[in-house]
Amino acid sequence: MADKHASQAPMAWGDDQPLVRVEGLRKSFGSLEVLKDINMWVMPGEVVTIIGASGSGKSTLLRCINLLESPDAGQVWFKDVNLTGPKTNVNALREKIGMVFQGFNLFANMNVLDNCTLAPVTLKKMSKTEAEAEAMRNLDAVGLTQFAKSPVTSLSGGQKQRVAIARALCMKPEVMLFDEPTSALDPEIVGEVLNVMRDLAAQGMTMVVVTHEMAFAKNVSDRVVFMDKGVIAEEGRPQDIFTHPQHPRTREFLARYLEDEPKEA
Amino acid sequence: MAKVDRQKGVRTSTKPPAPAGPHRDQPARKKGLGTFLREDHPYVLLGTSVLALCGIWLSMRPRSAMSFLAPYYGLEVALYWVLVAWVAVSVLALLTKILYKDDYRARSPFASEKAKPIERYLSYVVWAIVVVFFLDRAVMGFANTVSVAISSNSKPQGDDLAAVIFIVYECSGIFEAGILTTIELAVFGTVIAFFLALLLVFVRIQVPDRQDNDFVRFLKIVGSGFAKVYSTVVRGTPMMVQGLVIFFGVFSMLRDSGLSTQQANAIWSTFVAGLVVISLNSTAYMMEVLRGGIEAVDPGQLEAARSLGLSQWQAMRKVVIPQGVKNSIPALSNELVINIKDSSVLSVIGVFDLMFASNTAAGIYYTQTPVYAFAAVVYLILTYVASKLLNLLSKRLGAGSVDTTPSSN
Repeated sequence: MADKHASQAPMAWGDDQPLVRVEGLRKSFGSLEVLKDINMWVMPGEVVTIIGASGSGKSTLLRCINLLESPDAGQVWFKDVNLTGPKTNVNALREKIGMVFQGFNLFANMNVLDNCTLAPVTLKKMSKTEAEAEAMRNLDAVGLTQFAKSPVTSLSGGQKQRVAIARALCMKPEVMLFDEPTSALDPEIVGEVLNVMRDLAAQGMTMVVVTHEMAFAKNVSDRVVFMDKGVIAEEGRPQDIFTHPQHPRTREFLARYLEDEPKEA
Repeated sequence: MAKVDRQKGVRTSTKPPAPAGPHRDQPARKKGLGTFLREDHPYVLLGTSVLALCGIWLSMRPRSAMSFLAPYYGLEVALYWVLVAWVAVSVLALLTKILYKDDYRARSPFASEKAKPIERYLSYVVWAIVVVFFLDRAVMGFANTVSVAISSNSKPQGDDLAAVIFIVYECSGIFEAGILTTIELAVFGTVIAFFLALLLVFVRIQVPDRQDNDFVRFLKIVGSGFAKVYSTVVRGTPMMVQGLVIFFGVFSMLRDSGLSTQQANAIWSTFVAGLVVISLNSTAYMMEVLRGGIEAVDPGQLEAARSLGLSQWQAMRKVVIPQGVKNSIPALSNELVINIKDSSVLSVIGVFDLMFASNTAAGIYYTQTPVYAFAAVVYLILTYVASKLLNLLSKRLGAGSVDTTPSSN
């Protein structure tokens, strides 16, 4: 744990201090209260999955972490910086917080390589060749170097999502947010994206994953957060959540999966 | 992203089905000319008869002085009778067909395998004859009218075509200058308006960000408000009125600043005024087009760029605006076509465009309808050529096709 963290985060930030901390977060869309006083933290190198029914506020919570949604109340901390503070340079902090979307959101006006190099060249003042070398390394990690010069429209959904992961990695983020990365994919190609994410977790990347892939939540994550109607109903180690959930809503939500479990094993 | 792709897929797949017309010769043309000429054609008799009737009508038109058939009267009569014979044979074939009804293919002599190629080759003879009559009567007739009209000393009476040819020939300098001015106004006006519209749409879509200080917030709100008001005012008033207000407004401002009328005219010429008016007018429409194109870009594109750390401006410039402009290309090029037509109202402030040239020529010779009809034809040619060229251009840029029937502002 200590070793892989050291390779990920060059800054001296203790393993015992949370990388991301959410305190008293509230968010409403009109009269609908989506997040009600959320408190959460993510330790360095930890993989946290957020599960729950649609509309329970999972994605909104994730989008509040990099301020794509601005919270109505509460604070989001990245290391020792308060993202929600009035003077915070959110753009600079977003460079350290990678995000992968359900709809891929690859830049449609660029090819695969340019998707990966846009941010490093624009923000890190990297030379084009340097950025391209780094992009090729990350494309290699997701197995897509042969598509570097292809327009993004020519890729399949699974390939698009892997490019999106590579694009986020090019900024060398310290934490990666995944917003239902496999929900727009058909079941046959979900695996190729999950494999990339599994590799990433194995390399010690800090990850927050909103997902409906229960197998991934169970097998890959260090901690599972179950959300229900805008609050965190239950959280804990996957083996606890998936074998004897405490909260009645968690039991209800996982009922089908719990029944299936013996058959799978 | 997936949504956009799906829409694109639908757009390309919902092309209207090709009209299922009886154009049997369409695939034949691909096979080569020789095959086409030899092949059976179901409309040989009927279609060629219609053509033959046209030829008969042409042959009964008066010969012009430049007619090349005039010395060969006997030949002309013979050709005329060939056409009549063809029509007669066709009528006969039709009657036979009606008579035998169901088994005419077997019994009608006109449908036999021997007769078919003969009919086909004869139909080419009929075609050739009609072309000869067309050249003699229509083409040479027009050439004769032109030569008579341009050598005439005064406007030919009683013949509108001759009159308009005479007037256009006599006033060719006026019309050339007018057409050139119209093209210049439309092209330069549209290009200037495009850049102004880009600037204005950027101001228009600004939303206060949470990081902005009060001054930036104030600027964004004022800028966006100005763009909205500008668009409403310009699109809500006629360009002719805008032209008059701007032309006379600036002119009197120049006069008030102590310039003589002559100096003011030198600076604020009608062409410059017209260009300013058309640019400012078109800016408002193009801004709305660009705004539509930019708003049609998937919001996920902006979010993805922001999530990588790009600022709002960087994300707009590198990701959203290029896609928005590409979305807008068909409607933007339509704006050029509209400007070609709408520049005509600028003749009211004395811009020497095609409309002003037509007014002048119509006034000199006191001939309205033919001259304005000529102006209409020239406008049609200009807009048609412009929309075809823009279509090619936007296909090259991969941005869909331009509407070939441009709407008006």
